[in-house]
Amino acid sequence: MYKLAWRNIWRKRGRSFFTSLAMALVVMFTMLQSGIMGAVKNALFTTLVNTGGHIQIHPVDYREARDFADTLIRDAAQLSNSLVTALPADTNFVEVLQTGGLLEGSEGRSRGIALIGIKQPEHLRETFLNDYVVEGELPEDKDVESIALGSKLAKSLKINLGDTVYMYTSNTEGYGAAAYTVIGFLDIAGSQAMAYTSLLAVQELAAPDAVSRVEIHLSDFNKISDDAKLPPVKADLIKMLGDAYSVETWGEVNPGLKGYLDIIGPVSLVFLAIFFILAGLVVMNTIYLSIIERVREFGVMMALGLGRSKVMLMVFYESLFLCSVGALLGALIGGLILWQTAKGIKIAAFSTFFEGFPDTLYTSISVERVITIMIFVFVTGVLAALWPARTAGKLEPIEAMRFTA
Amino acid sequence: MTALLEAKNLEKIYTIGNVETPALRGASLSVQKGEFTAIAGPSGSGKSTLLHILAGLDKPTRGEVYLEGQRVDGKSVSDLAKMRLSQFGFVFQAYNLIPVLTALENAAFVLELQGVSRLEREAKALEALKILGMADYKDRRPNQLSGGQQQRVAVARALAADPKIILADEPTANLDKNTSLSLIEYMKKLNEDHGVTFLFSTHDPRLLEYVKRIIFVEDGRVVKDELVKAKAVESV
Repeated sequence: MYKLAWRNIWRKRGRSFFTSLAMALVVMFTMLQSGIMGAVKNALFTTLVNTGGHIQIHPVDYREARDFADTLIRDAAQLSNSLVTALPADTNFVEVLQTGGLLEGSEGRSRGIALIGIKQPEHLRETFLNDYVVEGELPEDKDVESIALGSKLAKSLKINLGDTVYMYTSNTEGYGAAAYTVIGFLDIAGSQAMAYTSLLAVQELAAPDAVSRVEIHLSDFNKISDDAKLPPVKADLIKMLGDAYSVETWGEVNPGLKGYLDIIGPVSLVFLAIFFILAGLVVMNTIYLSIIERVREFGVMMALGLGRSKVMLMVFYESLFLCSVGALLGALIGGLILWQTAKGIKIAAFSTFFEGFPDTLYTSISVERVITIMIFVFVTGVLAALWPARTAGKLEPIEAMRFTA
Repeated sequence: MTALLEAKNLEKIYTIGNVETPALRGASLSVQKGEFTAIAGPSGSGKSTLLHILAGLDKPTRGEVYLEGQRVDGKSVSDLAKMRLSQFGFVFQAYNLIPVLTALENAAFVLELQGVSRLEREAKALEALKILGMADYKDRRPNQLSGGQQQRVAVARALAADPKIILADEPTANLDKNTSLSLIEYMKKLNEDHGVTFLFSTHDPRLLEYVKRIIFVEDGRVVKDELVKAKAVESV
């Protein structure tokens, strides 16, 4: 029966080839779409995690705090020590103190910005430099006189490297002001209103010895699929730190983007379904035509004793064979393209459109998604054969043998 | 003795719209094991309808059909299909081989439907092709065979599964004179040498010279049923 079904689909080689090709294109495009979606998700995840860590520790209720002082972790050193002892040795910590204020350039132009003081391990600093500093440098940990500005901010205030800028901000004592030399420009999300300097510099300006948050950068959490490993770590931290701190994962810190990431999967599934419905219509048309062309033959087989269920089964086999040939071809081509693009493809438009977004994407497709695509192929094959199979199964042998198309 | 196949008072009325067209009007016959019998009659006399009802391919409006004493006309569609598969062999007017299968695969097709293992069915199909003189053509597809050769493969297909009876509906209708005679001689030889029971319909008087019994059908009725002296097989 399998052999007969297989040979049947190649009676009209051209028609079957183009039908399989339609399925191949759908499988290939859905694989590529999934691969690119995977790349975008991973790139967004990487961007968010690199700039904010996997987990952040804040003072409890910091989001509702109206007073700058209530947004601060005063005993930052003690907190850091506790975290170092509680988490694996290869965990990295970034201490950040963030304040808002007015930045004034040398021409007297000014703008309200977020000033971020950051202290991070050397290798994270290197990554940060490579990814976001487009010109110049990032202030060293002990440098309290330099600043790096968001490139758009610098452009709007007409600030060049080496210029002096003035920062006015409220602090724990009232108001503070400081002068910095611009040593670098950054291309990072929110760069139109953001400046980076050392943690020490911002502590001197706004809140001595305090931090706004501690970012925890875990090792082996490199892809969005690793996200499932975060909740136990978070639970352990909450247990250890108690009620005084707010422990949030990267997704909780960025609920909007996390929501976007969460919706990418379902949206791409909808597209996948639409593609497969179209391919299914092509397959159904081909199978139905082949049934009409073989009505007499079905009549003979039924007269010889082939039961209706087996007639229908043969039609299902034919549909599934057609779909499978296309699926294999599509998976092969799609897989090869993804294998190549997994090494990285430069798409400058992304980084232009999404500020701070990497310009190189690494396509990635999960085994689950490949299995999902293959399930879609199978379901399409079955659904596309339903009507033709029913038509074939309802034939009466005598009438079918007399049939002329 | 219980007849192999028996029909009692078969009536068949086709209804198209409000018009009723009777095809059979009380036809009765019985066939014993080992017979080589023809159903003869002009076109439209009801030969094919009678054969189809006997084969379980169609249901009578009235009347009864018995296979080895068991009534079969009331069976379900699925049971009738099983009966055809296991008890009957068929040869149709048009060659009706499956184009994508070789002669051997076509001859083995019924055995495959019966679930016989590949080795066994190929051995049986090859044996049937040998008997029909088609073993040398076993790997050819139908479009590489002549009409007569295709019909011999069709007989091999019917024979391979060792049915109780082979029913043939105008098996030579699409063949020229010599090929027709050659085919009927093969069928006759199968009957004489292997005891295969044949019941076939024809309106070709030349073929009737080979049979032992002729059932004449006219206007949906069996009008004559006679034993005749059959011509001996000469050429195969």
